[in-house]
Amino acid sequence: MKEEMTLNLLLLCPLISASFIFLLNIVFKNIRQSIYSFLALAGSGTSAILALYVSYESYFNHKIFNSLLFTWLDIGDFNINIALKADALGAFMVLFVAPVSFLIHVYAVAYMDGDKSYGRFFAYFNLFIFFMFMLVLGSNPIIMFLGWEGVGLTSYALISFYFHDIQNTYAGNKAFILNRIGDFGFLSALMILFVEVGSYGFSFTDIFLHINNINPSTLDLIAILLFVGAMGKSAQIPLYVWLPDAMAGPTPVSALIHAATMVTAGVYMVARFAPIYNMSLDVSLFISYIGAISALFAAVIASRQYDIKKILAYSTMSQLGFMFMALGIHAYTSALFHMFTHAFFKALLFMSAGAIIVAFSHKQDIRELRGLRYSAPVIFIMMLTATITISAIPPFSAFISKDSIMSFLFASGHYDIFILAFIASLFTAYYMFRMIFVMFFSNYFLEAKKSSWFMLYPMIILSLFSIFAGLLNLPELFTGNLNISTWLNLEDKPLEISHTVEIILMLINTIAILAVIFYTYKKYAYTDKILDESEVNIIANKFYIDEIYDYVFVKSLKHFAVYIDTKISYKLIDRSINILALSYAKAGRLFSYIENGNIRFYALYMLVGLMFGFVYLYVLLRLSL
Amino acid sequence: MNILSLIVFLPIISAIFLFFIRKNVALVKIVYILVTLAVLYLCVILYIDFDPNDSMQFIVMHQWIVEYGINYHLGVDGVSLGIVMMNAIIMPLIAIGLYKRRDNSGYWINLLFVQGGVMGAVLSLDLMLFYLFWELMLLPIFFMLGLFGYARSNYIAMKFNLYTIFGSLLMLIAILYIAVIHKEEFGFYSFDLNNLKNIKLSSLESILAFSGFMLAFGIKIPIFPFHTWLSDTYRSAPTGIVIVMSALMAKLGVYSIWRFLFTLFNETSHMLAPYFIGIGLFGLIYFGISAMNQSHLKRMFAFSSASHLSLIVVGFFIYDIYGLIGSSYLIVAHALSSAALFLMVGIMFERTGTYSINELGGIALVAPRFALFFAFFALSIVGIPSTAGFVAELLIIVGAFKYNIYVGFISAITILIAMLFMFKMISKVLYGQLSPHTKEFTDLRLHELLALIPLALLILAMGIFPNYFIKKIKPTASFCSVEGQCYVK
Amino acid sequence: MIKSYMILSIILFSIGTVGLISRRNIIVIYMSIELLLNAVNLSLIAISSDLGDSSAQVMSLIIIAIAASEAALFMSLFVVLFRNRASLDANLFDILGSSK
Repeated sequence: MKEEMTLNLLLLCPLISASFIFLLNIVFKNIRQSIYSFLALAGSGTSAILALYVSYESYFNHKIFNSLLFTWLDIGDFNINIALKADALGAFMVLFVAPVSFLIHVYAVAYMDGDKSYGRFFAYFNLFIFFMFMLVLGSNPIIMFLGWEGVGLTSYALISFYFHDIQNTYAGNKAFILNRIGDFGFLSALMILFVEVGSYGFSFTDIFLHINNINPSTLDLIAILLFVGAMGKSAQIPLYVWLPDAMAGPTPVSALIHAATMVTAGVYMVARFAPIYNMSLDVSLFISYIGAISALFAAVIASRQYDIKKILAYSTMSQLGFMFMALGIHAYTSALFHMFTHAFFKALLFMSAGAIIVAFSHKQDIRELRGLRYSAPVIFIMMLTATITISAIPPFSAFISKDSIMSFLFASGHYDIFILAFIASLFTAYYMFRMIFVMFFSNYFLEAKKSSWFMLYPMIILSLFSIFAGLLNLPELFTGNLNISTWLNLEDKPLEISHTVEIILMLINTIAILAVIFYTYKKYAYTDKILDESEVNIIANKFYIDEIYDYVFVKSLKHFAVYIDTKISYKLIDRSINILALSYAKAGRLFSYIENGNIRFYALYMLVGLMFGFVYLYVLLRLSL
Repeated sequence: MNILSLIVFLPIISAIFLFFIRKNVALVKIVYILVTLAVLYLCVILYIDFDPNDSMQFIVMHQWIVEYGINYHLGVDGVSLGIVMMNAIIMPLIAIGLYKRRDNSGYWINLLFVQGGVMGAVLSLDLMLFYLFWELMLLPIFFMLGLFGYARSNYIAMKFNLYTIFGSLLMLIAILYIAVIHKEEFGFYSFDLNNLKNIKLSSLESILAFSGFMLAFGIKIPIFPFHTWLSDTYRSAPTGIVIVMSALMAKLGVYSIWRFLFTLFNETSHMLAPYFIGIGLFGLIYFGISAMNQSHLKRMFAFSSASHLSLIVVGFFIYDIYGLIGSSYLIVAHALSSAALFLMVGIMFERTGTYSINELGGIALVAPRFALFFAFFALSIVGIPSTAGFVAELLIIVGAFKYNIYVGFISAITILIAMLFMFKMISKVLYGQLSPHTKEFTDLRLHELLALIPLALLILAMGIFPNYFIKKIKPTASFCSVEGQCYVK
Repeated sequence: MIKSYMILSIILFSIGTVGLISRRNIIVIYMSIELLLNAVNLSLIAISSDLGDSSAQVMSLIIIAIAASEAALFMSLFVVLFRNRASLDANLFDILGSSK
């Protein structure tokens, strides 16, 4: 009973606070900001505490929380309960989703201060957490899908938050449409899954019990369609184009939704459906390749971006690529653990970026933001911590998580993927430190507004997390005992390389990354090199992918729409029907010549009619005789 | 007196009485609201008393024209209950939402006739009676199109009328034909569904009769390629009529396929189902893409409706419990959303004087409540989770995947197709900078909120707790899909 | 015997028809109509005497009476028509037709 309540409250608190904020916002015109902040923080804070409790219980006592709210649908075999289940994986997800959400809420209280749509922002923000919890806690795929769509929707609302500029709303549209293409794949996969094994019940446990009944080719199809969903949500090639545009939203949104939580839903989903992926190896490998290509591709693009948030967006996409690489070779825990650390350091990066944006009068171009080290020292330290972390320098957390991925990649024997990952990680160090060196290491000095402590406290906490979170899953090499792996107990492939190889890999990685950082320092620190970079080459234009998509899909669809609307509907069908009606009118006019009003002609017609009558009678009589 | 007869005849009789006090418009409006609220009350009672374990209920049966076996035969089952309910809900809200707007008694009197006609057509189980109500519903719309329509209203009213009369005459021929066959087989005339479903037809005869009916319904829905009356009519029609047409009449077309064709020509329907699934899927995509090219709001929504209706047709022809329940749920869900959306478009026109997407913009800046509701209803048409449309589409897609995996894929496109135009539209209408037309846009007034809030709440409730609504449809649908008997008793 | 009566009747009827269709003067048209009537009368009487049933003869008497009253009606119509148009050309009286 109590655990049900815990789980229900965990899910519903954000919803309740969202609805309160929503009602207040819609009914009353002038509400004090503090009321909104209180409600928002209360909702997300309660969830965060409950989430910590849930994961504590799950970690130490291996308790599985269950809760059944109500029956959503019950038709034939399609019996869907709104039921929550926090197994180890779910508890692990809420472990970082809820606290990070809460911290970003605190941050947003300061960041959004004075915005006239303050209430609306927090309503959406809390609603987002609600859907995110639904996604990770759902006990069957349909609820997961509900949450999946819900986070997409709130993400749309938040990207379009500054709607007075219509371009922002177009970015929101783009995000939602591309996500929905992914959802199309996800939904189709679920439906095929239901057709195949739905008669045994449709919760995750039931599905995985009967997964052997599905024939392998169908299973491959399901796996690939599921991954299409993940592609959309987690911004992988080819459905990634929305993520950079999504930076149109307020920075806390980018931090929470487009870095820490929502975009990682694809990773979570693949991990959740691990039994399926363990059985379809080709699809898994495909996922790895997509991840590798996305990681490298995004890293290369990021190295020529100037907008601070865009750099971070491409970096997110690149890191997600790393996670998918790991998922594809069935190193689920490594992927999830990297997602875990990524949530902290990426949120930290975005929050620092947001702090910079606020402190320096909403400038986002790193070429204009030079010389911030002495005007914003705290932000500098935060950002440097996060950058070192993301570059995977020991002993920061991402070193441990990323290194585990690299070892697995090496052990899997797919050296092409390994090399792609290696280059991508070098590029990561390059573009991140490029940003740092350009902004903080220069001879200029830029005056800053003082940052609110509400913004800085969450950042400090997150920076501690991003330094030390790695301890949770310390590999055996460092006398750790892989706590998270034991806890999650997923169907991982065991790591099959010796400690020596592992150490050599680590050393090569670290040394290469340090070399890249040194090169970057030489190139960008205290120079104006950044201004010389050309903006017209293919990388700066993001390989023209946006333009190609626009031309191939959007424009052609538009032309097609014009074609069928004017040519087929109007010219072909409507014309022919109108011609039918008009020819009727024409025939009428023809007959009106006969009806000339002259009595004698009528008599003639009568005569003709009579004659026909007689002929008919005659024939009839002859025939009957 | 049976509750169904009351529901059918209360609006019709009040409309006749209203004719005598037509001079006093304010009184006409009040009586309209009172009468429709009374019908709503009756329908709520009906809904509560409806036994969720049974299919056809509240049957009323009187002999009417004995020598030809025409009966006054009404009854309600799970599927028709949904349509009756949404008809009862939407009609008073039209008047509440447009309270300050229309000052013609004819408008309201005709709407009452339409309500009675729709109720009668939904509830009747006798083909002649059905035909009577079907036509009764058309004529007021013809008059309203001609009298209160915009731009070339006469031409459009005439086009609409010829189109639909053409269809319904073919249906009349088909009705008479099967009645005569019944006379030949059993020795007496009958127009009662109960009796007619027993007749045996050769496959050619049954295909001919089937297509007579189908043409009438197909024009009314409309399915491809009978859709060319649609965009003109929607553009020209006054708000009340657009709501009635998109929310009630089009749905009635689909419903009638289910009620009459599946009952009368069960085998033929099964046999022809793949073709109609094909037409439906084609229409789903075709209309969706057509809608992208529209810059007139009402035309865009017209195509959007047509796209969804094609999906409903697919759901019915899948002949499976998921498809049937999904479709009948989508009938109600889409009716509520589109009624609300058209109402809001009407409200918008009243303030801006334009329907053109390109001339609007920035409404969210000046009218947040309006923007909220508008975006909500538009998104509910797209079928976002926690709205009724999502549940319905999900069920239809389940059915489609069970039927055939490719059909499944194409019908799953429905979650994409509406977005392609809806989001662009939302951006252009609600967001961005203010245009000269929207500068003095006032937010929703109280009576408009009163009309919209119930619809929004209902859509949410139907999306979040669908089981409470679906359990009333379930027995009907399971009879139909499992036992192949879409009409039992 | 009846055959020759019938032939005469047909000849008369044909003459009447041709006159009705081809002539333009309304009075001649009227005369043609009378011819038609009387052709029918003739055949009625002939058949009646052939069958030995006199009811047809009664019928033809009634027809003659009606034709007489018709004649009066027609004459007055002619007068009115002539007053209006100063002509009795049938082609002038075609207001039944579509307005040109």
